[in-house]
Amino acid sequence: MSTREIISTGNDLAARAAVDAGCKFFAGYPITPSSEIMHTISDLLPKIGGAAIQMEDEIAGVAAAIGASMSGVRSLTATSGPGISLKAENLGLAQMTEVPLVVVNVMRGGPSTGLPTRVSQGDVAQAKNPSHGDYKSITLCAGNLAECYTETVRAFNLADRFMQPVFVLLDETLGHMHGKADIPTAEAIKSGIKPRKTFDGPAEEYHPYGVAQDEPAVLNPMFKGYRYHFTGLHHDKNGFPTEEIETCRLLIERLFNKVEAHQEEIDSYEEFMMDDAEVMIVAYGSVSLAAKEAIRHLRAEGVKAGLFRPITLWPSPAKAIKKHTDKIKKVLCVELNIGQYRDEVQRASGRLDIEGLFKVNGRPISPFEIVNKVKEL
Amino acid sequence: MARTLMRFTGVGGQGVLLAGEIFAAAKIKTGGYGLKTATYTSQVRGGPTVVDITLDDEEIFYPYANDGEVNFMLSVADVSYRLFKNGVQPGGTIVIEPNLVHPTEEDKKKWNIYEIPIITIAKEEVGNVITQSVVALAIANTFTNALDKKVLVDTMLSKVPEKVHAVNLKAYELGEKYAKEAIAQGPAQ
Repeated sequence: MSTREIISTGNDLAARAAVDAGCKFFAGYPITPSSEIMHTISDLLPKIGGAAIQMEDEIAGVAAAIGASMSGVRSLTATSGPGISLKAENLGLAQMTEVPLVVVNVMRGGPSTGLPTRVSQGDVAQAKNPSHGDYKSITLCAGNLAECYTETVRAFNLADRFMQPVFVLLDETLGHMHGKADIPTAEAIKSGIKPRKTFDGPAEEYHPYGVAQDEPAVLNPMFKGYRYHFTGLHHDKNGFPTEEIETCRLLIERLFNKVEAHQEEIDSYEEFMMDDAEVMIVAYGSVSLAAKEAIRHLRAEGVKAGLFRPITLWPSPAKAIKKHTDKIKKVLCVELNIGQYRDEVQRASGRLDIEGLFKVNGRPISPFEIVNKVKEL
Repeated sequence: MARTLMRFTGVGGQGVLLAGEIFAAAKIKTGGYGLKTATYTSQVRGGPTVVDITLDDEEIFYPYANDGEVNFMLSVADVSYRLFKNGVQPGGTIVIEPNLVHPTEEDKKKWNIYEIPIITIAKEEVGNVITQSVVALAIANTFTNALDKKVLVDTMLSKVPEKVHAVNLKAYELGEKYAKEAIAQGPAQ
């Protein structure tokens, strides 16, 4: 694939990615450390016939983005953890109605207003279940500047494939750091766009939610002659509320199963110097940058350390994690939270002896903190 | 080239961010790697700000400077000087704005501290206080020899509107002149 070199920040790259991926609508509310996404996209979208709107609050931001997506266009909102808390109810609506949407969350210290300008990975658990009820989150996590671009593109294609919101997690460090990114050309991205499925048979045969148990709804754009109903209530094949026992069970099981049955399409992870590793470090997002630097130092001292970096956080690459944790005794999770992903590594590995190096004061974890922790293991 | 770590510190609103972006972009233009990160508080203006610039011929992963590894620091605010000075390696170079930053006697033994009135130069000699980030850019490059002057100046000019090219060039030349004089004079005793 042909590439181009861009010197920019993670937030700027995420906004450019959305536009290159065919996004035509943005609605949101500015919040540190994600505001630059809105800044860039509100400059780019009007030039290509799209629209970017600063709404009155976070809730209206996600609601407008969902509405735009219902009309058939690719739609984006961006925020930080406090914004996700406010958007949670509508994110549940999008899960239930199967409306695709990309939500970029540039993580900062929490809970509540927390540390607005400082780095954190405290929203990993929130991304798995931001709303009440059962559904299966798809959450991607960029680990470098280029991935702020490529993972946002992937999120749009996954959202249309699985017909649900897809999270892209950035963190303050990645969102604001400024440097070089080698990314695919806009033409390459455009040729890879996989638009959502539509039904083009007779209107009376169209049942948007009447699909196989491992498939997402087929939602034709509004105003094109196909009538159906959107509701947050349990609904039948045409989208109308129902409490019929089997229909209710099948609906929620399908929301789960449409993702679970096709996890191989979603899985993504990086194995860095894992071939001969005797110590496995698990890290994602900006922390993985410190981990890679730490591994360089450890290897120079003869310690065989490697990095497993999940890029798709949810659903987790559990099989790939277990493959390594079955062989490698020393496993260390390094996170800017108190083990939100270590819980998942414990689950995937079936082991309770997964070590942790955690920090929650808004400061990054340095390579030397990781080096020292690995030596203590 | 070995890794060069520079740190610019000031308070929010002084424009120290731009100088970092220019350094990183100029290094990338020469085929190397450059990263800029900034840390600041939730105060819009007046909070301590630190910008770390990492330049290397090899790929850089971790974008911040480790404590004790910074080769060169420039500081235009006392609060941030005190907060971030310990990132500088012993024997490293620190340039301070002497009207605003007040190092201790011990600091002067630990590091090579040079006094250059950066803000006064920008305000009175260049004639525009905003150009202090370009004065700082010139000083940092003169002390570290990190980058070819032409590449750095061209990158700087590509990031500012054309109508202010002349004033920014003037700021660069003055920064370089003062830095050379300071180097000739030696660090503060």
